Amino acid sequence: MSSIWIPVALSQDILSGMAIPAHLPGHDLVVWRSASGRIAAWHDRCPHRGMRLSHGFVRGDFLSCIYHGWRYGENGHCSKIPAHPDLVPPAAIKVPRFDVREKSSVVWVAPTGQAGEPVDYRGFTGFRSLSVNAPADLIARAVEGEERLAGCSVVLLVQALQGRGCNLHVLAAEGYDTAQLDGLSLAIEVLRRRLEQAVAT
Amino acid sequence: MIATMQDHWYPVALASKLTRSGRDTLLLAQPIHVRAEASGAPVVTCDGRVLPVLVKFGHVWTSLGTPAGDVFDIPEAHQPGRRLVEVGSVKVRCSPLRAVENFLDIAHFPFVHTDVLGSEPHTEVERYEVEIRDDVNEVWATKVKFFQPQAARSAQGGITTEYMYRVPNPTCSVLYKTCPPRPGEWDVITIFVQPLTETTCEVWPWMALYDDDSTMTQMIHFQQLIFLQDRSILENQLPALLPLDPGQEIPTRADMLSIAYRRWLKRHGYTFGAQLVAA
Repeated sequence: MSSIWIPVALSQDILSGMAIPAHLPGHDLVVWRSASGRIAAWHDRCPHRGMRLSHGFVRGDFLSCIYHGWRYGENGHCSKIPAHPDLVPPAAIKVPRFDVREKSSVVWVAPTGQAGEPVDYRGFTGFRSLSVNAPADLIARAVEGEERLAGCSVVLLVQALQGRGCNLHVLAAEGYDTAQLDGLSLAIEVLRRRLEQAVAT
Repeated sequence: MIATMQDHWYPVALASKLTRSGRDTLLLAQPIHVRAEASGAPVVTCDGRVLPVLVKFGHVWTSLGTPAGDVFDIPEAHQPGRRLVEVGSVKVRCSPLRAVENFLDIAHFPFVHTDVLGSEPHTEVERYEVEIRDDVNEVWATKVKFFQPQAARSAQGGITTEYMYRVPNPTCSVLYKTCPPRPGEWDVITIFVQPLTETTCEVWPWMALYDDDSTMTQMIHFQQLIFLQDRSILENQLPALLPLDPGQEIPTRADMLSIAYRRWLKRHGYTFGAQLVAA
């Protein structure tokens, strides 16, 4: 079953105060987490001079562009232009947003205003994301039905990256110990090598 | 009669570094070859055609068209006692026009050149004056003031620096700024941009400074540090081309010089590296 929700990262990989680039088909995104822990996904472009906001910096509950420090709040509206500290920025200055959810410690993104919620993999938690240098559809077919790796129960989520291969987000059932998870980590890397070699030949 | 972009002069090499075998490069997307003859004189060719050539400010300049005159002058640069700093070149994956526009921008100093050319909370850009001087076909900004923690290699601590900006050519700009060791004189800092393609360029910074203390290497390093910080911006702007029509980007009062530069480019059809219709 296909969903409009796309997994773009694991929650654990975006700490409070971090901004990272992410991708939806046709869109570059910045995904960032405020000091208070709130996650947001926006267009990766400052409306002032087109600078990528994923290069920006987080202070408190605001994301600022690295170029001129224009500061954007939760709703994507510009709240401060440092070159003109006394100016109240016009409401028209805002960054387009996407809907974002965190479920099973996965960050899911969808265009705004879509109905429905992302799948909740109850009992699973985010383990590792890794990029795979192979087309997403081939990878999705290859891992379909893979529910166990190195003796661990897993969910494998494939995120297509246009012309850039794909990301494989791995969730593991809760409760494994360190040795089991180390084994899983190795098994994931073996899986990646196998997939990339299968595509190359 | 205003020259087209083809008819302008562009920097393509440092005269002092030019070799007999020379180098292959691009100018406005045309492949060109730049080399020194046995006499040391530079020769530039494009597909077998010999292009106009001259040496000024340490650089070899050429043109694909018919330049109306000499390369623009910088009279201050000829004053005795200045150190002439040949920085070399940096290739940047950006529009040549975006490279110039960034050079004309003050408001980014606290965020991109943090604790060197600017620092928070000193972020305010006061009103300055901008004009397009039709008699010489140049864009000018004057009375630009900004607080800088380390304005130059020669500066001792923070000062309010005064700037004047000048755009005498679509891809070249000259900056005059307060000279820390010699109040009353201006340091001259330029960028000469060689347009390779619409989205790639080679930037040749050049300076004529009053600084008797720093070594040449120190002055070059200072300028390279600044420019590499700028490059991380320039290679991450969307779209890559400079939008000349309003709507794609939102300027503010601090951007008056950028607005004038874009207007001047559009008026004269200096559009190599520009986006004319909102995509």
